[in-house]
Amino acid sequence: MTRSKSDDNSVLLVHAYLDGELDPANTLGITQQMAEAPALAAEAERVKALQQAIHERLPREAAPAGLHARIETSVGGLKRDRARPSWRAMAASIALTAMVTGSSTWLVASSQQQPTMVADALVSDHIRALMAPEPVDVASSDRHTVKPWFNGRIPSSPRVVDLGKEDFPLVGGRVDVVGRTPVSTLVYRRAKHLISLTAVPAESQYELDRSPRSVNGYNVVHWVENGVSYWAISDLEAKELDDFAQLFRTSQTVL
Amino acid sequence: MKLVASGVQESLSGLDDNARFRTVVMPHIDEAYRLARWLTGNRTDAEDVVQDASLRAFRAIREFAGGSPRSWLLSIVRNTAYSWLRKNRPATIFTVEDLEAVELETAKPGESNDETPEAALIAKADAEQLRIAIAALPTPFRETLVLRDIEGLDYREIAEATEVPIGTVMSRLARARRRLIATIQNDR
Repeated sequence: MTRSKSDDNSVLLVHAYLDGELDPANTLGITQQMAEAPALAAEAERVKALQQAIHERLPREAAPAGLHARIETSVGGLKRDRARPSWRAMAASIALTAMVTGSSTWLVASSQQQPTMVADALVSDHIRALMAPEPVDVASSDRHTVKPWFNGRIPSSPRVVDLGKEDFPLVGGRVDVVGRTPVSTLVYRRAKHLISLTAVPAESQYELDRSPRSVNGYNVVHWVENGVSYWAISDLEAKELDDFAQLFRTSQTVL
Repeated sequence: MKLVASGVQESLSGLDDNARFRTVVMPHIDEAYRLARWLTGNRTDAEDVVQDASLRAFRAIREFAGGSPRSWLLSIVRNTAYSWLRKNRPATIFTVEDLEAVELETAKPGESNDETPEAALIAKADAEQLRIAIAALPTPFRETLVLRDIEGLDYREIAEATEVPIGTVMSRLARARRRLIATIQNDR
């Protein structure tokens, strides 16, 4: 028995029909086909029987007691955890924050005038990622998997390059938050060290001299290219992190 | 669905991150847990995955911009579960190449309808049989079937949650169901 492409399509339409996903025209078409083709009608009967058996015999189990509460607690803890470094940094620029109200303005203002605050936030994100079971939300060494993953998650698409040949394999990507803006973070690996590379939209060039070279023992490398401010954070030695930054900057973006 | 979604989005403006989290994420913890359970195969790991996914959702809560909150959370749960599986059960994770092979294999004639079991036989499948058969499905088929036939998501929501086009949802669903039907038949 061979099946043609149109047979396959009819099968999909039968399933979609049973799921209530067809518009009236397609519904009419497929019900006519089922009336004429016993095989399709039999398929529909089996699927209906299967759906009913699943519905009746596999009850939907509620989450275990206490899971809701544990989540609320852990999220509450995260909030406080996040706020702390920011507030420390803000104390130094209290006059600035007092004037600024909008959240996006806060980001631009802070990244222009207080690279320390951005670095602090990103080092916190890096540490939190290291503590999580996985440091990334999408795990892949393939940039064609990682880059599209950011579509719809952040407003811009990050530059993702393959540095596997240079012994900085791509581990994956995640979304971090700076101020209140979601930003893309790529994670690369060197031996056992992870590198978080975050791209923050930058309004204009600002003084790179003022970026800290290390925060809480983590090395930080910061540069700006094409209106994007890049932050590389790792426990890797400063020299190697510089090499990584250099490789990333000089590598071609291949789509 | 559109109306509800824009309602959620509208009601979010002016909320702080914690309030957004309570509105968008907390109502769907049960669904999140069940999906994680089907993906990891046990309760303890499912709880860990949901907790971790919730933290990720919280960190990204400003990024939720309308659409179905449930799909949004489930996509995060799914990514978290996949990371977990990659780390703890690498053998169960399908690579893209494996998946293509599976899809091709099941697209071949022969797998399905030469011996067509009667609907009545399918209807008699018991809970244990169903559970084992679903658990044996390759992950992409399993998650699609679970989201549709257990959780009742529509195709668009499944496409969002599993990050594939609707056409892929349709073919995975049909293949998942045919595999279940074939497994149940072979059990007899």
